[in-house]
Amino acid sequence: MENKKQVFGKMEVSKNSFKTLSEPVKQFGGLVGIIILIFLTFFVLNNIFGEGDELVAKMKIEEERIAQERKLNKLISSLPSGVLVSFDGTDNFKLSDELYEAVCKATKLIPQRAIMGANFLNFRAHEIYTINGNKIDETFVKWDDEKNKCFAGFVVSGKNVGVDETITVSGEALSFLSTGIDTRVYFIKNF
Amino acid sequence: MELIKKYPKLFQWLFLLIVFFALCFAIDVPETYKFIRGQAEFVKDPNQSSYIFLGKEVRYYAFDVFWRLPPLLGWLPIWINDSLFFLMNEWMPMEFWNEDTQEFKTRPLLLQISRNLTSFMTFLIELIREILLGGLETIVAFTSWDWIDKNPWAELPGLPWTIVAAGAAILSYKLSGKGLALFAGLTMIYISIFGQWKPSMQTLSFILVAAPLSFIFGLGLGIAAFKSKRVEKALYPILLVMQTMPQYAVLVPALVLFGVGDHAAVIITMVVAVPPMILLTILGLRAIPPEVIEAGRMSGCNNWQLMLKVLIPTARRDILIGVNQVIMVCFSMAVISAFIGAKGLGFNLLLALNQLNIGLALEAGLCISLIAILLDKMSLAWANKQTDYFGNLTFLQRNKNILFFASTVAIGIILAYVGTFLFKDTFNYLFEVPHNKGLSTADFWNKGVDWIFDTFFVYIKAFNTWLIQDVLQPMRALYLRMPAIATLVLVVGSGYLIGGVRSALVVCALTLFIALSPWWDRALVTAYMATFGVVISCIIGFTVGTLCFQNKHSTSFMLGVCDIFQTFPSFVYLIPVMMLFGITDTSVLIAVIVYATIPATRYTIEGLRSVPTGLHDAATMSGVNKFQRLTKIEFPLAFPHMMLGLNQTIVFALFMVIIGAFIGTEDLGQYILKALSDKNGAGIGLTLGICVAFIGLIFDNLIRTWVGQRKKHLGID
Repeated sequence: MENKKQVFGKMEVSKNSFKTLSEPVKQFGGLVGIIILIFLTFFVLNNIFGEGDELVAKMKIEEERIAQERKLNKLISSLPSGVLVSFDGTDNFKLSDELYEAVCKATKLIPQRAIMGANFLNFRAHEIYTINGNKIDETFVKWDDEKNKCFAGFVVSGKNVGVDETITVSGEALSFLSTGIDTRVYFIKNF
Repeated sequence: MELIKKYPKLFQWLFLLIVFFALCFAIDVPETYKFIRGQAEFVKDPNQSSYIFLGKEVRYYAFDVFWRLPPLLGWLPIWINDSLFFLMNEWMPMEFWNEDTQEFKTRPLLLQISRNLTSFMTFLIELIREILLGGLETIVAFTSWDWIDKNPWAELPGLPWTIVAAGAAILSYKLSGKGLALFAGLTMIYISIFGQWKPSMQTLSFILVAAPLSFIFGLGLGIAAFKSKRVEKALYPILLVMQTMPQYAVLVPALVLFGVGDHAAVIITMVVAVPPMILLTILGLRAIPPEVIEAGRMSGCNNWQLMLKVLIPTARRDILIGVNQVIMVCFSMAVISAFIGAKGLGFNLLLALNQLNIGLALEAGLCISLIAILLDKMSLAWANKQTDYFGNLTFLQRNKNILFFASTVAIGIILAYVGTFLFKDTFNYLFEVPHNKGLSTADFWNKGVDWIFDTFFVYIKAFNTWLIQDVLQPMRALYLRMPAIATLVLVVGSGYLIGGVRSALVVCALTLFIALSPWWDRALVTAYMATFGVVISCIIGFTVGTLCFQNKHSTSFMLGVCDIFQTFPSFVYLIPVMMLFGITDTSVLIAVIVYATIPATRYTIEGLRSVPTGLHDAATMSGVNKFQRLTKIEFPLAFPHMMLGLNQTIVFALFMVIIGAFIGTEDLGQYILKALSDKNGAGIGLTLGICVAFIGLIFDNLIRTWVGQRKKHLGID
């Protein structure tokens, strides 16, 4: 009881001493109070919504991806239109090792011509491909760092004589077709 | 310490600025901020975060909150859109009788109301348009196409331009005298011979529907607000927002509710024109001395009689100034509403600007400006005209103007009839000069523009480059560099220091609305453009105003110039700047400066004029020279009034920055313009408009509070 009285007494004293403060000091105190309040509110909001570092990390990856894509696009637009090969002995444009790697990384498309060519050497894949209305499940173009080669391939799946089958056809992409806008795999050596 | 005690306010402001700059330097720009800003906005990016509120998904980049707040109000535009869609397409379906198909049809209530409203507006516009230009739609509305085929004489013939010109001159003479009559006559002749008659009459018909309706609604609501505190309290926030809301922004929801065309333009013009009418009605009724009301009551008036016979006639001048404001707003809307298909001069102006045909734009702009000045002068003359209740005039003296008009109608008809013989094989120029058959100076102006470009291209380009690279870009970067918390601290702190906790809370709420919307960055760009315009306008306006104030003739001349410039619809300002600077940010900013300098100059002169003459005499007696009197007495006393000018300058600058989006800026205005062509743009447009209005209201609140306190302090309240 005594303690409570003391607390109330102290509160009363501090209230009175606040009242005795001059107007500018009170106003300054109010200003500081408002700034602290804003700060606290932002702090709480940051804990709920802020993703500062994570977002930076995510966006950096995105930024790099776009930068890389732009670089590759620039490279593609500088290539001559037509067939680009990675081997000697033809009149087509011969890709240097660096260019071969860059074109491989920039290439996304495998046209039907290359697929049909690869299928000639894989009878079962050819069967599934034609039976299922020339349907391709998936295509891929990958650069193999160990072998320093570009690999391209595709996956066909469907019923073949009543049996569900999935076949992956893959081989070295030896030549590409440059259209000026993009590059496509021209020949897959799957033998 | 002594200094702090002596100037506590200064110390508080310094503290606030130190905190602001400390926050700006302490909070780094996120590394990928520029990259994210470079990406298209509102694209679905897997790196975005999202939240769902009221069933709406909001996607955003989760920056450090101290840098940018998350768009917690991002659901609002989507919600407004969906609500509008629901109201227009699903809410309260009812059976309505369809005259065309002769059967009942189910339609949502709001859609039916909006369609009925639009048909009514279309009818009114067509009626006035056909009285002025001729046509048969109105007659058909009451009869049928078959009937009009059988009775071709019933088609409205339209008024010959000579009659309208003479009518305008006679009315001007009655209201103000020879000067205005001459101006009215010349304006009408100019419009006619330059082939702008048809678009001018189309614009006039639009105004003749929008202005009276706005007057009736404004007066009614003003009286209701005067009578009831509740109505006033309910109207107050709407009026406040509407005063600072860019007119562009209101167009977007109007498109959804009323579609495209003159009818939608009239309705939206009313929305914009009613608030000033309400305010001036309240102002006029409030200013009536209590003795007048007492006298009315003592004469035995009931409430209606008191209002109609005593209060409204006493407040006549303010109410008529309201009419003047309504007409001016209608004119500025005549151009802006061309974006939603309103026909007339505004549409021609917009078309010409789109084609970069500066000559044609100038001709249309000049016509709009001339008609606006004419109607402004006429309505002001009407407001200031005293009714002579005691004059003992004969019938001829009382009705001489009507008789004059009747005779000019007869002469006009005869002339038009003679014209049918004179111009047998061509157009009857005594009836109407067709749009492409009048005189045209467009080629001259276009060649002038080419000459300006050829001759001054190097200098203009150098100026443009310098302004953009060395001034605007760094300033823009500075604004965008401000972290959200620093901006909020600065604004709320200023509110607290100027007007205490209440003011701080108000500006905090307004700023938070913008900061929590998805367009904070765009709002900063808008603020930067407006700031640049305001600073330059204030420097020019305060200097010119002060210099002109030194002489009585230059004062009245400058006020006259301000009057005329203020009458021009805001779009017109874009024409000369496009002539000189082409399509650049510089053009927008120069238009902003020209437009915003008007209130700065006017309020400076009026502020200096408001200083009591007694103080001038006292100062002269104390032996001060002219400069001392200006700096020690006139400026301190006039400063609160000049600050109100600053307030107006900010609102004008914001309006022009938003209109400048037409030329191509990347501020909030650009998004409002985009929303106009987006079928889901209503919510976005409205929210953006509110954001712009709130920027204006933040400054309005701070300035008005400061002015109120300052006036109290100086004892000039």
